[in-house]
Amino acid sequence: MSFTAAAERTMIKLDRVTKQYGNKTAVHELSLDIAPGELFAFLGPNGAGKTTTIKMMCGLLFPTSGAVLIGGHDLRRDGDRARQLLSYVPDQPFLYEKLTGREFLQFIADMYGLRPARAAERIDEVIELFELQEFVDDLTERYSHGMRQRTVFASALVHEPSVLIVDEPTVGLDPHSVRRLKDLLRRQADRGTTVFLSSHSLDVVEELADRIAIVEHGRLIACGTFKALREQAAVDGSLEDVFLTLTRQASETDDKVTK
Amino acid sequence: MSDGQPINQALLFQGLRWRLLRNSWRLMLGQSSMRPFTILLVSLLVWMFVFGISWGGFLFLKTEVGVPLEGGIVGILLDLLFLSLAVLLIFSSGLILYGSLFTSAETAFLLARPVAADQVFAYKFQGAVAFSSWAFLLLGGPILIAYGLACDAPWYFYVLLPLFFLGFVLLPGSLGALCALLIVNYIPQRRKQVVGVCLAALALALGVWIYRMAQASPSTMWRDEMREAVTRLFSYFTFTGSPLAPSHWVSLGLRRALRGEVGSSLYYLALVWSNGLLLYLIAAVGSAWLYRRGYNRMATGGDLNSAVRAPRAPDKGGVPLVRPKKGTGLFSRCDRLLSAALPFVHPSTRLLIVKDFRTFRRDPQQWGQIVVFSGLMLLYFTNIRRFVENLTAPFQNSISFLNLCAIALLLCTYTGRFIYPLLSLEGRKFWILGLLPVRREQLLWGKFAFSTAGGLLIAEFLLLVSDFMLMMPLEAVLLHMLTVAVLAAGLSGLSVGLGACMPNFRETDPSKIAAGFGGTLNLVAGLLFLLLILGLMAAPWHAYSLLAEAEMNLSMPLAGVGVGLVLGLAVGVVSVVVPLRAGIRALRAMEF
Repeated sequence: MSFTAAAERTMIKLDRVTKQYGNKTAVHELSLDIAPGELFAFLGPNGAGKTTTIKMMCGLLFPTSGAVLIGGHDLRRDGDRARQLLSYVPDQPFLYEKLTGREFLQFIADMYGLRPARAAERIDEVIELFELQEFVDDLTERYSHGMRQRTVFASALVHEPSVLIVDEPTVGLDPHSVRRLKDLLRRQADRGTTVFLSSHSLDVVEELADRIAIVEHGRLIACGTFKALREQAAVDGSLEDVFLTLTRQASETDDKVTK
Repeated sequence: MSDGQPINQALLFQGLRWRLLRNSWRLMLGQSSMRPFTILLVSLLVWMFVFGISWGGFLFLKTEVGVPLEGGIVGILLDLLFLSLAVLLIFSSGLILYGSLFTSAETAFLLARPVAADQVFAYKFQGAVAFSSWAFLLLGGPILIAYGLACDAPWYFYVLLPLFFLGFVLLPGSLGALCALLIVNYIPQRRKQVVGVCLAALALALGVWIYRMAQASPSTMWRDEMREAVTRLFSYFTFTGSPLAPSHWVSLGLRRALRGEVGSSLYYLALVWSNGLLLYLIAAVGSAWLYRRGYNRMATGGDLNSAVRAPRAPDKGGVPLVRPKKGTGLFSRCDRLLSAALPFVHPSTRLLIVKDFRTFRRDPQQWGQIVVFSGLMLLYFTNIRRFVENLTAPFQNSISFLNLCAIALLLCTYTGRFIYPLLSLEGRKFWILGLLPVRREQLLWGKFAFSTAGGLLIAEFLLLVSDFMLMMPLEAVLLHMLTVAVLAAGLSGLSVGLGACMPNFRETDPSKIAAGFGGTLNLVAGLLFLLLILGLMAAPWHAYSLLAEAEMNLSMPLAGVGVGLVLGLAVGVVSVVVPLRAGIRALRAMEF
């Protein structure tokens, strides 16, 4: 599916989403429309509201106002259907230490209601895709960071989600694994999966993303293709230069408003 | 895309639990056959020990004292046993469930998946109730079986026993779960205060009860015949036999089974199960509404405890740009006072002691329980004079010994509940301590010193109040102080040493660590040590005084007291040195 054709429809929709932590506003009236098959990058400094936004997209947190829709399903009203469509790989992924990798994959396949034959087929596929054969029958407590990350990605894809949400996936990975991860994310998007990527690795984002959003203090300060962002920032450099310029401008505007 | 076929989520979670248990068991068998064997053997020994003591006790009551075991007095004791268990289970299952529902990494993982909130709740509920009640099964089971044997109970008594127990734990477990859900949903920012207020209210109710007991005809109480005095004393326990109390239904049901009244016993069993299941159903339905909502509230508005955080610059990378101010509050002064009070301790060890103290004082769930129990004891000790206005020396002697036993039990609880988990709570950050330029044994010595000093401070104070109120002679006070010192050091040595031998770095909940196998083993070892020390150091003197008072021929010369003291001190030294050395060996061999 081509990205432009798919852009007609929306897979992830955030409609004027605000999230408050007591008196502090973590996310302020954020609106996003992300199409099927789009690889969308979500950037921002620490504390800008990225993880809060992601948690609202998974149904872990509820918006104070506004709505989050996945595949047309409102996460607040129709959460289980929305969650059926997505997979979330957090920055600190969870694995059951006393399950083997294969048992974990089976558990996830059962949870998403895959038929036994289909589950077995998909488990074999992701084991091969992520090259888990050597350790998939060992308990996950013995896995290294890279092995854990590969197993978590395999589990995230075993049920072929329509939306893949990934938070800081490159932390702690060696260059070979990062390359493999980048290829995987691109391939998933090309197959029609909507990939929502939050990362501080700007080179990865620059290389992969169809569109990039930048948030600062919970507000969306820029959203568009890399080219559009360069024009907005009036910078002809890398994404790093663009990011630093835009966030600095936003801070200065904030300071002026405060004064 | 997933097939999206409907799945039985309850079966899914049962399958998960089964696989986790099976793999853990296989792993344990694969690593060393000694460990499961030791666990089984120790469990069996503990079971048999409790059974033996209970059976002997029941037979003694029946044949020597002439108390009818099927009668009212034992009934009141059973009522009290199950009521205490219910209160403990409400708090422990509520706290464990709060931790596993709202703060564990697993629930964040599950809640981001298409699983029903009530199914996650049910899965976590089963784990929490099993965890908080398994120790009772190990310790309470043999007591009740011994009770049945001593009364020549029919076979169905033993069949009904586990059924009553399983039905009963549903009630406090569900109540604790409901409390956790409601508190997190409606007062997330004040959840710790609410737990504190509940504990304080419970303490107050107990305090009022003790006070009323002390007020009631104290001067004549001990002049009555023993039987009448006991009957009067038991009249203050009648509230435990309320017809609306589920603990009373269990007690009554078991006693009916004992008498062969099967129909009546089954009626109470049905009452317990139907109420237990109804309350569980209410909790499960409530969780479908409240669990995800509560998780959201906890994550966004429930943790605003900023008093211990460094001031931050406004959202510039989340890194504190301003150095935290040097504390000037009462607690910070306590830290500095503690540090200044330990000039003889190695500076590194001193820092570790202050760190442990700081961690402890910042967790009101931990010190709140100590304050409540100590406060209750203090209330009782300060009111004791009402009991003893016209007290004869033998009663004075016996009560002071019983008070010493109560203080020893408080020490045992303190070390088992709070000190044993200390090393495990260092958790995955243990490598930080492992890399510090201090010898690893200093970590343990630091925790040992912290535990002993804390225990001594509380226990010696309570003891002095008790002995002063009872007007005990100086020699008795000194003997008691020495006994308490040996107990504080020995129990600390056991808890710190065993805590290092059997650490559980994966668990973050201290109550789960204390309720686990290692924690229970530590508790049992502590109780045995306590019995031994009291028997060797304090009991001989009290026995000697009683006999001397009665002007009986002394079969045990005063030298026996001295021998007991020496032996007690030796046991105390062994219980410090052996577990700590084993702990140090384990800590040295530990990889991070």
